[in-house]
Amino acid sequence: MSHVPRIAVILFPGTNDHENSQLAAQAAGMRADIVRWNDARDLAAYDGFLLPGGWSYEDRIRAGVIAAKTEIMARIRAQGKAVLGVCNGAQILVESGMIPGLSGKVEMALAPNRNPRIGGYYCTWTHMLPVGTCAFATKGEAVIRIPVAHGEGRFVTREPGLIERLWRDNQVVFQYCTAAGEVVDAFPVNPNGSTQAIAGICNREGNVLAMMPHPERASWMRQVPEGVKSGDAGPGRTVFAHMKAFMERGARETRAEAAR
Amino acid sequence: MSGDSENGGALRAGDTVPVAAMDDAGLARLRKQHGLSLTHDELRLIATKLARDPTLTELHIFNIEWSEHCSYKSSKRILRSLPTKAPNVILGPSEDAGIVEFAVVDGERYGVVLRQESHNHPSHIVPYEGAATGVGGIVRDILCMGAKVVGLSDPLRFGNPSLQKTKYLATTVIDGIAGYGNAIGVPNLCGDIAFNASFDDNCLVNVACLGIVREKDIIHSYAPEGAAGYDIVLVGKATDSSGFGGAAFASVTMDDEAQHKSAVQVPDPFLKNVIIRASYAVFEEVRAQGISAGFKDCGAGGIMCATSELGASGGVGVRVDIDKVPVSMEMPAFMTACSETQERLVWMVPKSFTPTLLRVYNEDFALPEVAERAQASVIGEVIAQRDFILVADGEEIAHAPIAEVTEGITYEREARERTREAREPDLPEPDDYAKAILDVLAYPDVASKARAYKHYDTEVQGMAVIRPGEADAGVIKPLPDSDAAIAISSDCNPLYGRISAYWCAANAVAECMRNVAAVGAVPSAFTNCLNFGNPERPEVLWEFTEAVRGLADACNGIPHKLHGGCVPIVSGNVSFYNESTRGTAIDPSPHVTCVGILDDYAKAITMRVKREGSALCLIGPRKDELGGSVHYQLQGELGANVPTVDFAAATREIHAVIDLIGARLCLACHDISDGGLAACVAEMLLGGEGDGAIGASLSLEGGLRTSALLFSQTGGFVLEIAPEHLARCEELCRDAGVALTRIGETIAAPELRIAHNHKAIARVPLARLAHAWLTGLEEALR
Repeated sequence: MSHVPRIAVILFPGTNDHENSQLAAQAAGMRADIVRWNDARDLAAYDGFLLPGGWSYEDRIRAGVIAAKTEIMARIRAQGKAVLGVCNGAQILVESGMIPGLSGKVEMALAPNRNPRIGGYYCTWTHMLPVGTCAFATKGEAVIRIPVAHGEGRFVTREPGLIERLWRDNQVVFQYCTAAGEVVDAFPVNPNGSTQAIAGICNREGNVLAMMPHPERASWMRQVPEGVKSGDAGPGRTVFAHMKAFMERGARETRAEAAR
Repeated sequence: MSGDSENGGALRAGDTVPVAAMDDAGLARLRKQHGLSLTHDELRLIATKLARDPTLTELHIFNIEWSEHCSYKSSKRILRSLPTKAPNVILGPSEDAGIVEFAVVDGERYGVVLRQESHNHPSHIVPYEGAATGVGGIVRDILCMGAKVVGLSDPLRFGNPSLQKTKYLATTVIDGIAGYGNAIGVPNLCGDIAFNASFDDNCLVNVACLGIVREKDIIHSYAPEGAAGYDIVLVGKATDSSGFGGAAFASVTMDDEAQHKSAVQVPDPFLKNVIIRASYAVFEEVRAQGISAGFKDCGAGGIMCATSELGASGGVGVRVDIDKVPVSMEMPAFMTACSETQERLVWMVPKSFTPTLLRVYNEDFALPEVAERAQASVIGEVIAQRDFILVADGEEIAHAPIAEVTEGITYEREARERTREAREPDLPEPDDYAKAILDVLAYPDVASKARAYKHYDTEVQGMAVIRPGEADAGVIKPLPDSDAAIAISSDCNPLYGRISAYWCAANAVAECMRNVAAVGAVPSAFTNCLNFGNPERPEVLWEFTEAVRGLADACNGIPHKLHGGCVPIVSGNVSFYNESTRGTAIDPSPHVTCVGILDDYAKAITMRVKREGSALCLIGPRKDELGGSVHYQLQGELGANVPTVDFAAATREIHAVIDLIGARLCLACHDISDGGLAACVAEMLLGGEGDGAIGASLSLEGGLRTSALLFSQTGGFVLEIAPEHLARCEELCRDAGVALTRIGETIAAPELRIAHNHKAIARVPLARLAHAWLTGLEEALR
């Protein structure tokens, strides 16, 4: 066995999902360390990074904005390796300008949910369809059953033509869909009113992904509602499996190479 | 220590207050001036106990320590009859939380830590903050046992939902629970919501919390042996005056709401989140360095209560220097000592460990950067002399035998039977049973609670196996290296309490056990929160006594399936004075929470029917017990025939259901409670999300009138059993002395059909059932 990919799971003040993210990454065959935001260790030893859910810095100002400006985020960015941001981690990546990462500035936002029935924080199970290929997904693969749990998960932008450009450049990775895989841009299939039911967006190179649903909470079959309760891999495991495979091929590879 | 009592306003913290010599008028002035809630006799008793007059600080200390909230002075004597000892108890009710055996992994025994509490008065006045700090407080009780905090349950009671105030309270309390629980990353596992007019002026916001701990890693809420010379370290938020007098506030009837707003604490879940993570890191250091330590929640009574109880229960004294307490505002020393500022805990650790402790909190997790002036700091030391000493400005402002401070007082209050005129109404049978079923499903107490729990993070920590709404109990698998799982359910029907406090409590215990059994778990321990009115009223105290008797009888009468002893109550809380100034007490509300244990999470089942062509079978014969039922409430009646519990039969039924599920012979199971058999079967068809597509055809038989058959809330179960397993199930039930009655089957048509004695009485499409059930609570709160 050659190199086992090793990732750092970043713990900011207010992070909640670091432990189960670590377990989910380990279950997918990676090594995973929890690294505190103020830990000065050299990040070069890691092949990739995971920014888990929670509410870093109390969501002060806007969700993710303070964590996005921390020194450790600058160091992660400089590594140029695989970065998976889930929920609050996705908000951090968007606020850092790493997603969608066209200009290096903040180009999108994760706005407060729009839900016709239950306003504010909303926790439920959804389905998402891989519609793009990157370090964490392959277009055309099966529908993924997965939970969301957030108050601000609606991908929006004020940049004209940005969404079209993301589609053209294969940066839209996941869309909310029905169990049968039909994308429906309406509640309840789209749980938060996200633009075009988008659930995940990657950067142009495909090594950084911001997704609102939680793959670590769907990594074992036992976690799936009304599913057969077992220790088998759950539907969300695929995100980590792709990440591992990507890192095994070399973290600096481009998406085009990874897709082959 | 000197001073002038007649000029109380100028009193300093260390000044003596000559209560022994004061007449009633003087004591009345003193009470008013200093916001004291003790009676005149109690104030004089302080001087008797100390054999001298107290200082102003000591006066405040006893005012808190002798409050009902801290001393259990009315309830202590009565609570002694509760069963607390059983072979699976690791720690009974003596510290911040109880602990019951969970599983043995690699030769190491793990325990489930559990506790339930109320935050009723604060939530009624400032609902968001009150509910949030209720969660915050219970989490500290679990954490300080050295445990990982893994789940919450939220039983809530509100007034008539048609009142604007009720809508506001209910929605804001739900937001407060979500705002705190979600932010600290502890999942909601279960809970319930009920409404009735007895809660109009006094809502109930209870919260139960679970933790998981390896037995040898338990940290106790007392000074360990040989603790003299240990440092006392306060961790968390800088102290302010918030919550000063909170314990005393919880011990009186609410009169002027605005007057008590300052007694409500201010939540900071962000800081708590970081304190939890940092405390887990400290636990690892405690293990690694092999030291002994004491750790306690700094809750009611603040630093004073936490340090004195740590010391007294460890047989040592404490000396706390109030000037060393980080504060965020100027205030008198006695206020710093007793304020209930949130997000604080107290450690007692060897001086050699103090640098490690301070490093983890202050540097690794950088508390001072997380919240202004938040930190861990040494505020005093443990002394061998069994005294409680507070020092401020170099002067002793309190110095009393530590046992006197914490011992409290006890009352033997009068109890007098409440005679209520309960009668069974003479109601005609419904014209339209379909409509009657839909009305029951839309009733807010029965309807889907998605409006609440979709706001809660039910998935965080990734341990969920069965989440709220999917079954009668929530199930988690908390240890990565073990298949063992915890089931949890909370219950109490206040309308039963209105008819009979005894049967209310007994039913709550039995139903909670049925709830965890319905997912396949063995009922293993209880925690509780007993919510009642003013115990100084003999009728209220009688109801309380009756409820305690009901709890004890049920916990003893339905024994533990594996060890045969009682199902123990390992922790609990009493909340008195829940009434309005108009003098009407809430319905007696002995809330209980049951922890069940499954050796293998993979055996757990939900309530949703899985396939067509299965048999639907009843366990627990139907009786004419509509007293307190939803069906009666909808017609403005209470009734008298409250469900009773035949403990021996309930034991056989509960244990048989666990065996059937454990043998993987059942596809689905749901207990019969609010709304009766009809609501039970409808919910099984709908499933937690209300999107079920399989129908059922029921063929009921027997001489009971149809409405009693459908809506009586006599306890029981409905099980979905595949045809190939039916014979085996019947055999197992026969051997267990349990009647398993086939009442129908699941069908492809998406509807509920019911016949009674071969006469069709209702046929309702699932879509209509779903609409009623899914929108009932939302509509009520709109």
